[in-house]
Amino acid sequence: MRLAFLTVLFAAGQLFAQNINYQQDPKWRAPEEATMKPNPLADKPELTAGGKKLFRRNCVECHGESGQGLKKAADLQLPVVQEQSDGTLYWKITNGNPDHGMPSFSGIPELQRWQIVLYLRTLNRRDAVK
Amino acid sequence: MSFASDRSWLTTTRLTVFALLMGSTAIAHAQEAPYFVTYDHHLEEPGNLEIATWSTVGIPRDGQKLFFAPFSELEYGVTARWTAELYLEGQATSGDSAVFTGWRLENRFKPLKREHWINPILYLEYENINEATKILKEVVGNSGISGERNAELARAHAHELETKLILSSNIHDWNISENFIAEKNLSRAEGFEFGYALGISRPLSKLASGAECRFCRENFNVGAELYGGLGTTNGFGFHETAHYLAPVIAWQVSDNSSIHFSPSFGLTNVSYPLLLRFGYAYEIRGFGSKIARMFGGKP
Repeated sequence: MRLAFLTVLFAAGQLFAQNINYQQDPKWRAPEEATMKPNPLADKPELTAGGKKLFRRNCVECHGESGQGLKKAADLQLPVVQEQSDGTLYWKITNGNPDHGMPSFSGIPELQRWQIVLYLRTLNRRDAVK
Repeated sequence: MSFASDRSWLTTTRLTVFALLMGSTAIAHAQEAPYFVTYDHHLEEPGNLEIATWSTVGIPRDGQKLFFAPFSELEYGVTARWTAELYLEGQATSGDSAVFTGWRLENRFKPLKREHWINPILYLEYENINEATKILKEVVGNSGISGERNAELARAHAHELETKLILSSNIHDWNISENFIAEKNLSRAEGFEFGYALGISRPLSKLASGAECRFCRENFNVGAELYGGLGTTNGFGFHETAHYLAPVIAWQVSDNSSIHFSPSFGLTNVSYPLLLRFGYAYEIRGFGSKIARMFGGKP
């Protein structure tokens, strides 16, 4: 019984460390008006390179070089993230989820946060396959 | 010290500074506000350690002495809503001595989870310092420029508790911050001292370029701050208080280091006519995880 319990505990620990089954915090929801916001840079794909630089500066420590998610941070390639609207991602970068370790990045200028959203779209696995 | 050892010391110093400036890795942090005295609502990211060295140089009026007051800062993001800092400070006055003036332990707490139009931060600091302190990290109470020697001032110890209400707003790319300060000297039976600091700043560029660059506009953040004393519980107001107006600039030298500079101009006759402030900050990302791994813990 004890062995089974330890095995389950170990397996759970492994899953947690690899962050395979990232689950969104159900309480971390952007208000509707924020979800509807379009990315003002959506028609400027040339600004994605700047978003990549900002991502590398501010996000890779927790989300990893390719956004695969380290520690408790979200795997940004997952559909559960990529299906969210640009406005939602922008709101989440701006506000963070401090009780779950995600800090607010409101200190980054507005348009630069939108540049990060531009770059996040390139992490979509389905796009990568294409 | 011989000329040769002088030269070797200089070379070592130059190499160290060069290594710090140029040897930084490709990891950085959100652009830092350029303020020296004012706090905004952006806390240190959890697990990150910032090591910084700041200096205040006081340019005197006639009959006063020039001073140099450096202080070191270790800032750690305990959680996304709590940042703790340790300061060690000293002071040297021309024609007088150099003395260690004490240490401070500071904590900032973010009570609200989300970003709002006005974002409050609660600040609590314990100071174990002496009267020779001149770093002027904040200005409170009534001011008078002491002519006493450092040796005498350093003998007068003070245990102080300082609280601040920090209110800060991001309006588009502008940051506007207001700090209200109340300080109590626990070593003496005296009232509270009050002060304020106001700051406004913005980055020079709204967009980030794709290229790695040191001198591009996106790496500069500029602004101004106004700070001073507001008297004590025995006499609240502007009477005999020091006030300063200071343009500020921060340059993100590399992905994880920044240089800050500010000349502060004294606005009253009990203010120093000019304070030159400068500093260098270096951030170690994921410091907490690295230490945890070193001791076999879970990051």
